[in-house]
Amino acid sequence: MSEKDQYKNRIELLQGTLDMLILQTLQWGPQHGYGIVQALRVRSGDVLQVETGSLYPALHRLERQDWVQSEWKQSESKQRARYYRITAKGKKQLASDLGRWERIVEAIGAVMYVKPEESES
Amino acid sequence: MKWFPDFGFQRRKRELQEEIDAHLQMAIADRMERGETPEAARQAAAREFGNIALVQDVTRQMWGRGWVEQLGRDVRYALRQLRKSPGFTFTATAMLAVAICANSTVFSWIDGTMLRPIPGARSTGDLVSLQRGERSFSPTPPFSYLDYRDLREQNHTFDGILAYHHDWITLTGGAQPERVYISNVSANYFDVLGIKPMLGRFFLAEEESHPAVPSVVLGYSLWKTRYAADPAIVGKSIEIARHPVTVIGVAQEGVVGAMPGIREDLWVTLDPLGTDVWRMTHRDADWLNVLGRLRPGVSSGQGAQDLDTLMRHIVAAYPDQHLGDNRVTLDPMWRSPFGANGYMATTLPILLAIAGLVLLLTCANVATLTLVRFVARRRELAIRQSLGANRMQLVRQMVLEGAILSTSAGALALMLTSWTSTTFARFFPANSNPLNLNGTMDDKVVIGIAVSSLLAGMLCSAFPAWRSSHAPAIEVLKAESASVSGGSRNRKLLSALVVAQIALSLPLLLCSGLFLRTLRNLAGANPGFEQDHILTAAVGLNIAGYSHDEEQVMRHRILDRVSALPGVKVVSLTDWIPMTLSHKGEDAYPEGYVPHPHESLQVYHSEVAPRYFESLHIPILEGREFTQNDDEKAPRVLIVDQTAARRYWPGQDPLGKKLRVWGRSFTVVGVVKNSTHIFVNESPEPMVYMSFFQQGNETIVQAETEGNPADLAPVVENTIHELDTRLPVFDVRPMRESTQMASSFAVIQSALAGIFALIGLVLAATGIYGVVAYRTQMRTHEIGIRMALGASRADVLKLVLLQGLWLAGIGLALGLAFALGLTRFIARLLYGIGANDPVTVVSVVMLLGAMSLVACYFPARRAMRRNPASAIREL
Repeated sequence: MSEKDQYKNRIELLQGTLDMLILQTLQWGPQHGYGIVQALRVRSGDVLQVETGSLYPALHRLERQDWVQSEWKQSESKQRARYYRITAKGKKQLASDLGRWERIVEAIGAVMYVKPEESES
Repeated sequence: MKWFPDFGFQRRKRELQEEIDAHLQMAIADRMERGETPEAARQAAAREFGNIALVQDVTRQMWGRGWVEQLGRDVRYALRQLRKSPGFTFTATAMLAVAICANSTVFSWIDGTMLRPIPGARSTGDLVSLQRGERSFSPTPPFSYLDYRDLREQNHTFDGILAYHHDWITLTGGAQPERVYISNVSANYFDVLGIKPMLGRFFLAEEESHPAVPSVVLGYSLWKTRYAADPAIVGKSIEIARHPVTVIGVAQEGVVGAMPGIREDLWVTLDPLGTDVWRMTHRDADWLNVLGRLRPGVSSGQGAQDLDTLMRHIVAAYPDQHLGDNRVTLDPMWRSPFGANGYMATTLPILLAIAGLVLLLTCANVATLTLVRFVARRRELAIRQSLGANRMQLVRQMVLEGAILSTSAGALALMLTSWTSTTFARFFPANSNPLNLNGTMDDKVVIGIAVSSLLAGMLCSAFPAWRSSHAPAIEVLKAESASVSGGSRNRKLLSALVVAQIALSLPLLLCSGLFLRTLRNLAGANPGFEQDHILTAAVGLNIAGYSHDEEQVMRHRILDRVSALPGVKVVSLTDWIPMTLSHKGEDAYPEGYVPHPHESLQVYHSEVAPRYFESLHIPILEGREFTQNDDEKAPRVLIVDQTAARRYWPGQDPLGKKLRVWGRSFTVVGVVKNSTHIFVNESPEPMVYMSFFQQGNETIVQAETEGNPADLAPVVENTIHELDTRLPVFDVRPMRESTQMASSFAVIQSALAGIFALIGLVLAATGIYGVVAYRTQMRTHEIGIRMALGASRADVLKLVLLQGLWLAGIGLALGLAFALGLTRFIARLLYGIGANDPVTVVSVVMLLGAMSLVACYFPARRAMRRNPASAIREL
C-alpha cells in the first residue's frame, strides 16, 4: 500500500471526528491551518497530533460543504495566511456531530464498563 | 500547453501552495522563537509537515474535479512518452490503422448493401421478402398476380404487401433509343415502401391493371439526365417502346427500387398497356416478386404462418396451377434471395469475421511491442511508484498511451475507409445487370471504427500495463540486474502473445489458401460450353416497337448479315447467357411423372435458335438440334439436358416425351450434355431449351469467331445498326467477360482473404522475431557466461532457436486446431477442394513454420557471434 493510501485510510477513520474537532476549534474564532494544528495539540495536552495530509483535505472538503468559509488575512506576525471561519451551517453540523459523538462514547462506555456482577449473571 | 478549460483551477492551485508555505513559515517562526537555529527549524518543520506534493494532491482531490486535471496531466505525459519513441508510435499506429481499416471497409460494404437493402424506404427492418416453394440460392419470381392479390387482401399480419416485376425496356422518342431498367409494380408499391414522391404523385389503386391512360413514375437520375430535370414534367407524355405514356410523378433522389443491389430507372403499373392479359389472369404464371411490411408487433414467424395458411387454401382451390411445393417462407431484406443480398449475406459476414481475426492479431502484436516498451521503462515506473503513484494510476497512465495510439489509428482508418468503401463496385465486371452495389460511409461505420479502435486500444495496452505495474519497485531500483529484467511474469505474457499471433495467423493463411485454390479451380473448371471465341450482343428488338411479324423478319435478317461477316464461324440467337447470375425459371409438368410431395417442378429454361449448341460446342447426345422449321407454325418442341432427362424419365427414352409449360404441350426432340448455368459449383437443376422462333423474347446474337471476339465487336454492332439505325444494340462483349460475373464473389473472397493473410504473415513473423530478439538480448550476459564456460556456438544457436521454435510449435498446434474448427464455416464457398484439404493445411503450416524459423535465426546468429568477453560485461 502506498503512502497516499495510508493517508486516505486515516481520513476515513477519523473523518467524523476530525471534522468535529476542526469545527469545534473554529468555534473559538477564525483560524488558519497551522493554528488549528497547534490549538488541537495544546487543548489535548499534546495527545492529538493532526497530520497535515489529513487536515488540509478536510478543510477543503468542509469548505466545499459550506460548513466553513475562508479568507486571506495577515496574522499577528505579519504572515499572510488563509483563515477559516465556521458558518451557520457548520455550527448546526457541529451540534449534530457532538450529539452523535456523545452517544458513541456513552454506548462504548456502557460496553466497556459493565459491572462485574451483571456480567456473571 | 493547455488541454482543458481552467475554471480558476490554476488560481486555486497557487493558493494552496501559498497556504502550505504560510503553514511552514509559521512553524519555522515558532521553532526559531523557541531557540532553534534557522536551518534546524526549517528541516524540522518540513519533516513535521510531511510530503508536500502528496498533501497537495490529496487536497486537490477534495475539490471534486481532480480527475479532469489528472486526465489532462496524464494525456500530456502520455503524448510526451509517445513522442520519445517515434518508431514504436508510428509502427503501432500504422498497424492498428490497417487492421481497423480492414474491418471498417468490409463493414462499410455490409452497411451499403445488406443494411441498406432498399435506399429511401422507411424502416426496412419490418420488410420481409416472400418466397414460395423450394428455397434456392437464386430463385425466379415466385408468385402469380391472382395469388398475390389473395395474399394481399386476406392476410391478418401485414400492413401491406407489394409486388414487382423487374424488367428492361427502351425509351424511344429521343434522338437515340435508350435501354432503361424498370419495374412493373403493384399500385401500393411506394406506399408499402414508405416512399413519398418528389414531384407529382405515385400510382392509384385503380391504375394497377390496364389503366385508361398508361402512366409512368420516373426515377430521379433518369429525370435529371434524359429530361434535363424538367420541373414541369408531370403531366407530359413520353414514349416507351414507341407507346405514349404520361409522367405522373418523379421519385426522390436515391430511390432505385425494391430489389436489393439492383437499380431501376422508372416504374410502370403491372399491365400498363393491357397487353399482358395472360399473366394477369393465370395462376400458373409466376412473374412477381413480393415484399410485405409486417404489422407492428407481429413476428416474421407469425407472418409466415398466416401466409402459409392462406396459400394452402389457394392451392386447395386451384390444385392444377399449384403442383409441386407451395410453402411460403419469409426472409428479412438483408438476406433476401431476390437481388444481390443473397450473395452478400454468404460472403461479407465471413470476410468481416476474417478481418476481425486480423484486428485481434494486430492487437497481440502491438501488445508485444507495448510490453517490451514498458519493461524498458521499468525504472521510470518504479520511481513513479515510490513517489506515491498507486498501481491504478500507473495502469491508467499506460492504458491512456494505448488509447491515444488507437484513437489516432482510428482517425487514420476513417480517412482510409472513406476511399476503400467505394472500391467494392470495382469487383464486378461489366455486365448486363444494373448493379447498384457499393459501400457507404455513414454514422454506423464511424461508430464501428470508434468502437473497434477503443477495444483495440484496451486490448493492446491493458494486459501489458497491468503486468508492468506489478514490478516490485524496490528491487527494480536497487539493481539493474538480469534477474528483474522483465521478470518471469512478463516473459510468460510475451510468450503467450507470440503464441497467440501465430495461432491467429494460421487460420488467416489457411482461409486465403483455400480461397485462392478455389479461384484457381473455378478458372480451370470446364463449364461445359465454349466461352473463349464467342461474342454476344443484345438487340432491343422486342422493346423497339416492332410488330411481332416484323420482329421475326428482323431476327432472320440479323442472322444472315452477321453470318456473312468474315471471321465469324457460326451465328445463333438466344435470350440468355449462362453464368451471368441470372436465369429464367418456369414450372413444368412432365407428362406421366408423379412428383414427390413438396417437390419443386421448376425448371430453368432458355430459348435458343438453330446452331446454338454447335456454336457453344455443347454435344447433342440424342435426337436433334433446333432447325429453321421449328417456328410458330410447327408443333412446340423442346431439348432437355441430362439432368432433366434423368429426373423425369429415368431409364426411359426421353425423345418424344411431352412436357406442359404455360398450359402448352412441348415434345422433347433432343437431349444435350449438361453445362453450367449460374455457378461452376452449382447443384445441377433441370434445364429445358425451347426453340427461339417459337418462344423467343429478348434477342441476343451469339457468334463464334475465328480470332479474338473483341475485335469483331464494332463490326457486329455496325452490321445490326445498318439494318435499322433506331435499333438499340448493347452489351456487346466476349462471352468470357460476361461469365466472369459468376466468379466475382470468389474473386472478392480470395482477394480480401489474401490481403488479410499477407498482413497476418508479416505480423506473425515480425512478432516472433521481435520477441526472440528481445529475449536473446536480455540473456546476453547469461549467454556470455555459457560461452565462457565452454558452450560452443552451435550450442548457443540451438539455445536461441529452440526457444523461438518451441513458441512457434505451440502457436502452430493451437492455430491448427483453431483453423480446422473455423474452416467449416467457409466450406460452402469452396470449390474443388475440401475445407480441411491436407495439401493446403500442410503447406500453410510449413510456410508459417519456415517464417518462424527464419525469424528466430537472425537473433540466434547474432547471439552466436557475440564475443563472450564483452557479452559477460553487458547486463
